[in-house]
Amino acid sequence: MDFKKQFKEGLLTKNPVLVQLLGMCSTLAITTSLFNGLGMGIAVTIILICSNVLISALRKVIPSQIRIAAYIVIIAGFVTIVDLLLQAYIPALSESLGVFIPLIVVNCIILGRAEAFASKNGVLASAVDGLCQGIGYTTALVIVCVIRELLGSGTFGGGLLNGGEGIRIIPEGYPAMQIVMPVGGFLVLGCVIAGSQFLMKKLETRKMDKEAAK
Amino acid sequence: MKKQSNIGYVLRISLTLLLITSVVAALLAGVNMITAPIIASANEAKTQEAIAAVLPGGGQPIPFTDTTGLVKQVYASDLGYAVQVAPSGFDGEIDMMVGIDKEGKVLGISIISQTETAGLGAVAAADNAKGEAFRDQFIGMSGSLAVSKDGGQVDAITGATITSRAITDGINAALACVEGLG
Repeated sequence: MDFKKQFKEGLLTKNPVLVQLLGMCSTLAITTSLFNGLGMGIAVTIILICSNVLISALRKVIPSQIRIAAYIVIIAGFVTIVDLLLQAYIPALSESLGVFIPLIVVNCIILGRAEAFASKNGVLASAVDGLCQGIGYTTALVIVCVIRELLGSGTFGGGLLNGGEGIRIIPEGYPAMQIVMPVGGFLVLGCVIAGSQFLMKKLETRKMDKEAAK
Repeated sequence: MKKQSNIGYVLRISLTLLLITSVVAALLAGVNMITAPIIASANEAKTQEAIAAVLPGGGQPIPFTDTTGLVKQVYASDLGYAVQVAPSGFDGEIDMMVGIDKEGKVLGISIISQTETAGLGAVAAADNAKGEAFRDQFIGMSGSLAVSKDGGQVDAITGATITSRAITDGINAALACVEGLG
């Protein structure tokens, strides 16, 4: 097990949002404030770790013919538990994420990791994979959130800082509202993906140059 | 492909899935038992808070007739009525409470829950000057209301005409409902 490699994969080279392009629906829909992005990211990470661990532990018990059905039941169970707990203890987050919490069930990241990783690897490695992929997802969401919130609402940390209003950076009346709307989500996500690809290419060529210099 | 139709195989698969679903169901039942009362009391507290915000002293639920399909509950007291309405906004229902006095004038509105766009429609429910200015403009209004774009007297929130229109519709439904009560 290589924790460093898994972490790098989750955050950059195999980032669920920026490289695997999974979970686009939630990424586009909820990234309008830092609070939403962090909340969704943490919720998905918790569910991802739990489902990865359980699916990995049961991988030899579940017959392969019914594995998808079994995975979905397990994932749906965890999602519903998180949904109920959020409603009971953090109603503000539950309200602003709305229907997207129950929709985590069909978030491809979770089923994707169950199928691609947890069903083939040990419990500990699967837990680490869940954590790393979850961090990658959260990071991507937070980047998109910060950009959309700054350009669209002119604030930073909405729902979290400054009594829920966020810290105003661009004066009222100037921010481009469209960025908070769905069209802005597509634009910003596209730019963030392009930026991350550019960064990864740069890192790769630098690494190759270093090796060539040796 | 090899034909796999023996009973043992089918049983094993079905029983495994049955076992997994049963365990998950039992777990969910357990969590629900803990959270259900908390969620119910939180919702109840929110509704009571909304009633108190638009109708000082609160009120008791009374029977009502409604032709718009938007009215969910009517609470009455000596001062007037608090009508819970749920018009459709830009992105789902806006659950809100409208206070109306005995003369059919709006006492105030309070939004219980909504899923409007952050920064646009959600301003209607926001706890800031803009949100309050929007909600407070309805105080004292009566009859049939409309947003200024539709030739009425309600100033819509910038960039959120649909949300403003929905809230205005909700208030109209509440006013009509109270008028129907006599």
